Amino acid sequence: MNTIIIFSFFAVFFRLTDLMILSHKRLSEKAKQQHIKVEDIQIRRGIIFDRQGRELALNLELESLYCEPDSLNLDNESVRKLASTIAKEPEVILTKIPSEGKFAWIERKLEPDIAERVKGLNIKGLGFMNEAKRVYPKGKLASHVLGFVGVDNQALEGIELQYDRYLKTRGGKVFFGRDASGRTLSSGVDKEAKGNNIVLTIDEGLQGIVEKEIEKAMLQWGAAAASAIMMDPFTGEILALANRPSYDPNNPGKVNDFEKRNRAITDCYEPGSTFKTVVGIAALEENIARPDMLFDVGKGGIEVGGKIIRDVHRHGILTFNEVIQKSSNVGSVMIGMRLGKERVYKYAKLLGFGEKTGIDLPGEVSGWIRPPERWSGTSIGAIPIGQEVAVTPLQVLRAYSAIANGGSLVRPHVVSEIISPEGKLLVSLRDMEMNRIISKKTAETFKDILKGVVEEGGTGKSASIEGNEVAGKTGTAQIINPKTKRYSKEKFVSSFVGFVPADNPRLALIVVIYEPKGQIYGGVVAAPVFRGITNQALSYLDIPMEDNPHKNPLLVSR
Amino acid sequence: MDKYDKWLLFITLVLIVFGALMIYSSTSVITPALAKKGITEFYYFKRHIFTILIGFGFMFLAYRMSLSYLKKMAIPLLIFSFVLLLLVFLPGIGVTAGGAERWIKLWPSTFQPSELVKLSMVIFLAGYLSALGYRADSFASFIKPIFIMIIFQAVILKQPDFGAVMSLTFLTFAMLFLSGTRLRYLFFLSAPALLILYKLIMEPYRLRRVMSFLDPWKDPQGSGFQLVQSFIAFGSGGLTGVGLGGSKQKLSYLPESHTDFIFSIIGEEFGFIGVLIVMALFLLLFIRGISIANKTKDGFAYHLAVGLSLMISIQALINFAVAAGMVPTKGLPLPFISYGGSSLLVNMAAIGILLNISRGNDNGDMEGLNKKTFARRKAKKGIYNDSRFTIHGLRTI
Repeated sequence: MNTIIIFSFFAVFFRLTDLMILSHKRLSEKAKQQHIKVEDIQIRRGIIFDRQGRELALNLELESLYCEPDSLNLDNESVRKLASTIAKEPEVILTKIPSEGKFAWIERKLEPDIAERVKGLNIKGLGFMNEAKRVYPKGKLASHVLGFVGVDNQALEGIELQYDRYLKTRGGKVFFGRDASGRTLSSGVDKEAKGNNIVLTIDEGLQGIVEKEIEKAMLQWGAAAASAIMMDPFTGEILALANRPSYDPNNPGKVNDFEKRNRAITDCYEPGSTFKTVVGIAALEENIARPDMLFDVGKGGIEVGGKIIRDVHRHGILTFNEVIQKSSNVGSVMIGMRLGKERVYKYAKLLGFGEKTGIDLPGEVSGWIRPPERWSGTSIGAIPIGQEVAVTPLQVLRAYSAIANGGSLVRPHVVSEIISPEGKLLVSLRDMEMNRIISKKTAETFKDILKGVVEEGGTGKSASIEGNEVAGKTGTAQIINPKTKRYSKEKFVSSFVGFVPADNPRLALIVVIYEPKGQIYGGVVAAPVFRGITNQALSYLDIPMEDNPHKNPLLVSR
Repeated sequence: MDKYDKWLLFITLVLIVFGALMIYSSTSVITPALAKKGITEFYYFKRHIFTILIGFGFMFLAYRMSLSYLKKMAIPLLIFSFVLLLLVFLPGIGVTAGGAERWIKLWPSTFQPSELVKLSMVIFLAGYLSALGYRADSFASFIKPIFIMIIFQAVILKQPDFGAVMSLTFLTFAMLFLSGTRLRYLFFLSAPALLILYKLIMEPYRLRRVMSFLDPWKDPQGSGFQLVQSFIAFGSGGLTGVGLGGSKQKLSYLPESHTDFIFSIIGEEFGFIGVLIVMALFLLLFIRGISIANKTKDGFAYHLAVGLSLMISIQALINFAVAAGMVPTKGLPLPFISYGGSSLLVNMAAIGILLNISRGNDNGDMEGLNKKTFARRKAKKGIYNDSRFTIHGLRTI
């Protein structure tokens, strides 16, 4: 009996040698696996504010439903119940559950009441995980600026994409001790990482005005699309940027590419008459013309390279000023011919055409202007009047802002500050450098010319507003039919670009309406939109009416 | 002072102190679920210490008690424990836990009569085997205690408590075997025993559970869970262990970590060296017990000492083997170490009796001395010195 007992002890001894010495490594590994719980750090993107601290993008904590296929025990009945609770087909749910494994999403970011109902079903093997859903509380407002994120909060468009490295923080993993039921044993570990907050230059109020007005114009003119950008002409701060059609960034899945396009910076168009500024400024800078210089445009046309460029209306003899104010094609071509192609090209480049403005939004295009050596015989008749060039609305706005601010090219931007979650200022884009491109004198002279555009006899008088002087320019351009490679007879781009108050500019604004129906001219289609926006914007900003004795005689008191 | 076996007492004390330490270590981490039940850091430890104090009382009583009185009390004790066993099924007195009715209410705690059954069975068998009428080569002599054992087992199975059935069988068989029963009787009995065993585990789900110890990794989340967790505890202990209190497996991974699987936690915290020391202590305890038996000249005391040593050792061995996955997973506490008052009290009483026998006061007590058996044992021992056992007489231990 002794032997049996001692033998048994030895049997246990050998068994334990195997378990504790030989299998030590393997079993310790197993132990570590089950004792340590690894969790992803929850990443919370930074909040996006407008310039006055109003939230334009924030995070909502929602629960996401996942399953542990290994311990999941779903019968048909519970599948059916689950399906009806989360409003999905049972087959769809079954396809999301692999036959084995530790983790699989079933439905992400459930509404709180639905999550509660799923919990009430008490199905073993289902679990919930907190996830942040990006929410844009203002819906469509400024969607092209803000952009959006995907279901995993990956940046896809707009500021979200451009400033992703600031908004998002590096996640990572936290290690916890845990007990058998998965409860965390360590406490006080920061499981959350917050991204930096961003303050935009966008003003929600101005943005709202711009969006409302272009929406109205879209309906009124049955237009295919529309863009408008409002900018501080001195700083390049974008106060509002809107496009139509638009989308709701809260439902990015339903957005098509046409709606997604931030055409204010990603789409080129032929600017037409707004481009006449290039030859106008060049002529003044190069002393080729003075404001009272006369141009005989009485023939109503001019032949360039065997092609005749015509005016819309016959004008007779016009001063230099009037060529711009009445938007005479013939006069502009005459100025362009006097300058010669080299200088036309030089000033176009100087005013920022053919190059990206450097705005801090993704997808900007540079536009396109052919260098002089590649001009055709007719180019000198086309480029001065804004044909054979491709520009973005933002480039045009920036060129006009240079006139508004006395001759400097600004760098447009939509972000003013980046602030850490602790409140520390990380990046400031205030006080950005300005780059003088033309003399102050030329800018002032040209400003006066642009004021005349909006006065009686100018093409843009429907952009005029009560109490403040407007300086601006209309534009009407044909769209090249991509099939025939010829200018379309029906499709036009109508635009108006300008700034207000003319002598002390606070806002520069461009309105571009693509393919309006019924009317085509910038002065008819776009200028009223400009007026509508600036009227409201000036009162929103509490900008007083100018003391203008001609327009407001009652204000002159004695 | 009496010449009691100081080594036996010392080993026992070491095991008890170490056990109390391990109880504290494995129950002091309070989970929210436990806290809700009002269980605090010292809850189990305090109760265990209380039991130990009572245990010393039992030990002392057993030590002072006259062996002849104990022998007289053998049958009443057996009947008493049988009654207690039946009380388990009485609503209001019996306590059900984990699907088994193994306990009876005994303020302020509960008592597990199947533990007492082992002790009273050993006392009864010692008396029976040393009685004048017992004939090792008689089938009738053999079958009577077997019959009693089966009655007890039938009741214990009803609870059910397979662990207790298993250890009771080993114990009875071992004592009968040592008394010189013919081997063929034991083999003869094995046939129906196996048949009953087969019947019991024939149901596939039960069979799967019983046999899961062969490959617990096949279903580590289900039937193999406890064993896999036990292996992980042993394995992560390695040679030297993770240190006292360092066990992770006790954090509700390993079920019964303070009772049936406390040996795994010892392995995790004190490593291979720790479990070897514990095993060595039990082996030493067994050897001391046997040497006490061999020193005695009284048949009853001899059988009693052997039986009690076997009772403790078999229980410890089964506990080791279960934790190491060598036999099917059945709940049995580790003597002196596991939390569980009934086992501790019974085992401490057993040590008290062993110490009592080691005093050698029974030598002059001729009452109940089975001269024949005694003489034969001496004779056989002399004749068959080279043989481990004899056919017709007592087998040497």
